[in-house]
Amino acid sequence: MSTPHAAPSAAESLLEVEGLAARYPVRRGLTQVLARQTRRWVHAVDGVSLSLARGEMVALVGESGCGKTTTVQTISGMVTPSSGSIQLDGAEIVGLSERRLRPLRRRMQMIYQDPYESLDPRFRVSQTLVEPMLIHGIGGSRSDRARLAAEALERAGLAPAGAFLDRYPHELSGGQRQRVAIAAALVLGPDLLLADEPVSMLDVSVRAGVLALLDALRRDPGMGILMITHDLSTAAHFADRIAVMYLGRIVEQGPAQTVVRAPRHPYTRALLSVVPDRDPRKAGTPQILTGEAPDPANVPSGCRFRTRCPVAEAQCTTADPHLRFPSDATDPAHEVACHLA
Amino acid sequence: MSLLECRDLHVWFDQTHGGQVHAVNGASFGLDAGQRFGLVGESGCGKTTTILALMGLLPPTASVAGEVRINGTDILCGGEESVRPFRWRDIAMVFQGAMNAFNPMKTVAWQIAEPMVYHGVADRAEARSRASELLELVGIPAAAGKRYPHEFSGGMRQRAAIAMALACEPKILLADEPTTALDVMVQAQVLELLTRLSDELGLALILVTHDLPVVAQTCERAAVMYGGEIVEDGPVADLYHAASHPYTRLLFAATPDLYGEERITTIPGGPPRLDSVIAGCPFRPRCDVPMERCDGEHPTLSITGPDHRAACHRNELQGAK
Ligand SMILES: Nc1ncnc2c1ncn2[C@@H]1O[C@H](COP(=O)(O)OP(=O)(O)OP(=O)(O)O)[C@@H](O)[C@H]1O
Ligand SMILES: Nc1ncnc2c1ncn2[C@@H]1O[C@H](COP(=O)(O)OP(=O)(O)OP(=O)(O)O)[C@@H](O)[C@H]1O
Ligand code: SF4
Ligand SMILES: [Mg+2]
Ligand SMILES: [Mg+2]
Repeated sequence: MSTPHAAPSAAESLLEVEGLAARYPVRRGLTQVLARQTRRWVHAVDGVSLSLARGEMVALVGESGCGKTTTVQTISGMVTPSSGSIQLDGAEIVGLSERRLRPLRRRMQMIYQDPYESLDPRFRVSQTLVEPMLIHGIGGSRSDRARLAAEALERAGLAPAGAFLDRYPHELSGGQRQRVAIAAALVLGPDLLLADEPVSMLDVSVRAGVLALLDALRRDPGMGILMITHDLSTAAHFADRIAVMYLGRIVEQGPAQTVVRAPRHPYTRALLSVVPDRDPRKAGTPQILTGEAPDPANVPSGCRFRTRCPVAEAQCTTADPHLRFPSDATDPAHEVACHLA
Repeated sequence: MSLLECRDLHVWFDQTHGGQVHAVNGASFGLDAGQRFGLVGESGCGKTTTILALMGLLPPTASVAGEVRINGTDILCGGEESVRPFRWRDIAMVFQGAMNAFNPMKTVAWQIAEPMVYHGVADRAEARSRASELLELVGIPAAAGKRYPHEFSGGMRQRAAIAMALACEPKILLADEPTTALDVMVQAQVLELLTRLSDELGLALILVTHDLPVVAQTCERAAVMYGGEIVEDGPVADLYHAASHPYTRLLFAATPDLYGEERITTIPGGPPRLDSVIAGCPFRPRCDVPMERCDGEHPTLSITGPDHRAACHRNELQGAK
């Protein structure tokens, strides 16, 4: 029995991604080129579908190299998709000209992992904040821009703004730098924040603050956040929904608590089982998968997880499972790509 | 007598523009054979400096004081002369970032074998067969050793880095952030390997990391460092369930837990500067339960439970628990 689709429809959702694919050419040696060997591709993103509503935070989790960054870069227009559709507020953005894409770019802002690299060391905080406004023609006058910059800083938790505007990045702590990077995204008034591992370079003691800031921003009506994190505990704490990616595809997604407490995909189960608990007395039984995910230039036939799957059956070699509601799902928003789920 | 005994270790670095950084301030701990000990704390608290001091591998700009004993012999007192016989043979280290420090031009197996030849521990043939054994020991098929580092995944390079440290059959292994750059599944594989090595070979392990859950699940005991000092040490279960230092308690509270429902919190402020003397408790500016004497008086480690110590005035106030 399948349950009716309860996820937000394209019309009400902020971001709707359908069948997205992006690939990179595999570098060929000269001999291979001369031998006219066919071009091979790294299928970094290979059929990703996800949606994000206003005010929602979705966490994208999965092993290194599974395509999380490429997914987000494709959404933000930094990587051109090879197929699929991306709709922002119901309007298709794949295939738009650079001119028509420009105003949309302002509405989607990226936040990167490394606050040390994403800020120009020669720029004072004020310049870092004013620069994007100049590029996008926001703020009529110099004083308008100064006011917007100060507002963004305070919204990002750096108050009073005056104490930070004249500083250079090296005069800020790691957490403060990441807040400046967030403020630089906020000055443009985006609807969608794409955050790629926004706290993984920060010390534990300051992570919660930056995450709480993101949490507050999404509650601000209208802002949706897609956050990449390798830390499932962080995803469980802050995200409304979790999407688990494996080898270019989302293999399970659903409400964060459902995914964490009642995972259905064998990959998600294994992943959750190896998250160490901070309480030494709560030792789980880690189900350690051997090896690492296959090369995305060479995706296995059938289910892409079958080469490491502890419960794979014959059909898994031949049929590629698609995301669907599990047969006995209790949560209509829970989707799994596994024949046995 | 412990296998490794570190007593009142201090390290100062000369700074280019004058002055000194007091990077390790009176660290003391002991370690027995087969024991797994965690050294945790935030960036810059002195973890790497502490274990580099144990290896006698600090740069010339560092000055060291204190005692480091292996089976009772002080290896620090006589400088390089006194450490050299112990380094790699008794105490070995996997450096922070080692998995990314392989030479891209040489095969992995040869990079494990070469130091053995260079140090005269083995001839080329012996070194090669020893390298094969070591690779197998860390779960890499010996044949894969013929490959170059870029053909290895991150997890395999970390295993190879561990194999390299094990070349001279040390009794103590210092592993500096061995899983930090790895994702959770590969982290689990590497931690399983380190645990197996310490169980099967009786290897004593010091696991250095900023990741509390990793230490909670891998080590029996741990020390928490803050501003160059060990502020609390004890069995990991006691650190979590009965922390005697506010910093330890707040660090755990800042660490999200998969199934936990309570909100995680921040610790306001930042770590202390290490280039000037701190009068009171170094954690005072960030502490959530400070008292008057915390401003002027530097707390020292006192016993707060069986095998459990902390440096916080609150414990003296309450007496040993
Ligand atoms: N510019 C590029 N050229 C070629 N291949 C690339 C490029 N960027 C990424 N890839 C490959 O595409 C795949 C997906 O990479 P991506 O960076 O999206 O993964 P990720 O999930 O973000 O990983 P991580 O957790 O390590 O950041 C990987 O196999 C990667 O090697
Ligand atoms: N060679 C050096 N010269 C001067 N100062 C140094 C040197 N090495 C380390 N320090 C300083 O000593 C302190 C301790 O550094 P250390 O590298 O031991 O920290 P850590 O706990 O290992 O941090 P991380 O988690 O970032 O690796 C820091 O303040 C650091 O800036
Ligand atoms: S000594 Fe005082 S300031 Fe330091 S941790 Fe204990 S209570 Fe807090
Ligand atoms: Mg990435
Ligand atoms: Mg270090």
